[in-house]
Amino acid sequence: MRSSLAALCGALALTALLFVPAPAAAHHGWAGNSTEEFEITGTVEKAVSLAGPHATMQVRAEGKVWDLTLAPPARTEKAGLTEKVIPVGATVTVHGHRNSDPKKFEIKTERVTWNGKTFDVYPDRK
Amino acid sequence: MAWLEASFLGHVMRSSGVWTYGIVNLIHILGVSALFGSVLALDLRLLGVWPTVPLVTVAGTTVPIARVGFAVAATSGVGLLATKATEYVGNPFLLIKFPAIAIALINVMVIARLPGWQARAVREPSDRERRQLAIAGAVSLLSWLTAVAAGRMIGYW
Repeated sequence: MRSSLAALCGALALTALLFVPAPAAAHHGWAGNSTEEFEITGTVEKAVSLAGPHATMQVRAEGKVWDLTLAPPARTEKAGLTEKVIPVGATVTVHGHRNSDPKKFEIKTERVTWNGKTFDVYPDRK
Repeated sequence: MAWLEASFLGHVMRSSGVWTYGIVNLIHILGVSALFGSVLALDLRLLGVWPTVPLVTVAGTTVPIARVGFAVAATSGVGLLATKATEYVGNPFLLIKFPAIAIALINVMVIARLPGWQARAVREPSDRERRQLAIAGAVSLLSWLTAVAAGRMIGYW
């Protein structure tokens, strides 16, 4: 009993150490994506899908088809970006973070602008 | 994978509301946790932990929970996979997970044939049978642990 109490105290003390303030890290992107802000304009190739785990759409730009990874479905819908809002072929500007592999045309998307409207699926990211 | 994605199940997963995937994912995790938790207790007993608790007692509670957990996890898992099945082609963790599950299930069939397991209600196993059960318990623990770990990593590829 006493030894398990000591073990518990030890574990708690070690856990507390994890919450000591660390030097602030620079603003970073998602794991696997570039830290640089990325923006591209193109035409919608495949309309928004609200299927999980992340909403998606495809945009053709600079001769490539880009896979956009949006926010999770509920959050993307809350930003007003639902399946039938932007038609296929419409010109959109996409802002986010490109996949860090230059051979992959994938963008973790923070916002999509179309027809003067901005759909901000990650409003707390710049 | 293309036929799975094009299936009725895949269609329902994609078009039945923004919370569908999240809820099916939750059901999958509940199934996996029931399965792995009960398998962990049984495997540790097979490896010789809690020697004073009869194997038949441990098996009596863990095996039914493991069965139900597996059924829940497998059913919900097919739904998760069908949502965007083609996106998982080439995912290395999927190629680790499914063979690991296959090994674990073959191991279940092996354990069911071990004399020490079959006689658990009537007598204690002999030393030789105890070793066989311990090996099967180790294979089970390793293969399920591999399946769970690889399964969790699929989404991070």
